[in-house]
Amino acid sequence: MTYSKVAVTVTSNGVYRVSIERFIDRFAYAIEVEPETLSVDTEYKELDVWDSLNTLSVIAMADADFDVAISGKDVESTRTIGELWQRVEAKLGKS
Amino acid sequence: MSRLSGIVVRAVATAVPHEVARTQDYDYLTPEDRQRFQKATGISQRRISPLNQYASDLCAAAAERVIDHLGWDRASIGALILITQTSDQPIPATSIVLQDKLGLPQTCATFDLNLGCSAYPYGLAVIGAFMQSLGISRGLLLMGDVSSRVCAKHDKSAWPLFGDAGSATALELDESADPMYLDLMSDGSGRDAIIVPSGGLASRIPPPNEGPVPSTVGSDGISRRPDNLILRGADIFSFAISKVPPSIKRVIDSNTRAVDDFDFLVLHQANKMINDTIAKKTGFSPDKSLSTLADYGNTSSASIPLTMCANADRFQVNRLVLVCGFGVGLSWASASLTIPAKVVLPIVETDDVY
Repeated sequence: MTYSKVAVTVTSNGVYRVSIERFIDRFAYAIEVEPETLSVDTEYKELDVWDSLNTLSVIAMADADFDVAISGKDVESTRTIGELWQRVEAKLGKS
Repeated sequence: MSRLSGIVVRAVATAVPHEVARTQDYDYLTPEDRQRFQKATGISQRRISPLNQYASDLCAAAAERVIDHLGWDRASIGALILITQTSDQPIPATSIVLQDKLGLPQTCATFDLNLGCSAYPYGLAVIGAFMQSLGISRGLLLMGDVSSRVCAKHDKSAWPLFGDAGSATALELDESADPMYLDLMSDGSGRDAIIVPSGGLASRIPPPNEGPVPSTVGSDGISRRPDNLILRGADIFSFAISKVPPSIKRVIDSNTRAVDDFDFLVLHQANKMINDTIAKKTGFSPDKSLSTLADYGNTSSASIPLTMCANADRFQVNRLVLVCGFGVGLSWASASLTIPAKVVLPIVETDDVY
């Protein structure tokens, strides 16, 4: 697995990482809000703009930017952006 | 990867009902949400059958079109396979009813297959292998659905996506035909992603002859009868963009061809976000990925032939196409095939009942 995107880094012991700042930036772009309005603790499904189409946008973002397949259940079972970020990190490099 | 030779497509036709349902008129979404829905899915309108018209009627109209076009003697047709998930009744198989309605001979072998979005490549594989093995020279592959009949009208996660259509593909044994390459896949662990929970014996609610049909409210807050379709869009989306591109790539590789050798990519018409992502990941330029989402929405099993027929003017010369269907099951499949010049016929509009 090689990532062409700068979004993902590999540590010296071979672990794939993505910074929370980078993840929030891509998340904000996907749901069309300003990154400054989001944080690791944002309960994203409580946002005024959130609807089921945003779920698709976030899945598409994870696929395009991180080559990670997140499921509907990943979205259903996470509350904060930080929790979703952890799901994405756990799947990095495994597709 | 499978290779099938000696079978050629002689004609493709598709029939749709007259009634147009527009996204902008859908009362269960706010005007802003209708716009958002249209932008994400690409669907601005679909065709909806009148209540007395079934999948068999739409498929019969398409079958009549190909038989007329080819001037085939009906007695020469040795196989008819119907793929639908909205059959006219549970028993008997609708394909057998169609043998009679179309005036086909009793020597015609008929049966139904239960597949949806993946129907076209699967259907080509089944009828092609069937005709080849048994030496049946002419066959009809019909597929169509009246999905409007199984979705609750207020279900905004399903109703505004689906349109009704039926199609017919006429095939013939031909030694000189280019081979088809097929990639056929299944994953039943995803069966809940698109499901009609009731009706089968495992889950008939209520049990036969007992009580009224109850509605229940799902975790999405939408009330449905047990015989309504449930579509979990996020799961389908995640599945489609991760599993479908590798299937397409396997067909291209086995064909020892490059993406640029293909004239068109004809995907099942799911929604714009899914289809654009698949085309991009497989290297097809947007102009090569045919789309009919705007005018017909998701027509389930009929979506691939419908999309070819809606673009009939682009099939005036021989075309090498890659067709790929994916969805309910989960089931997904890809095929490469040559569509000879002028065999794709324009869409027929009909409310006829056979």
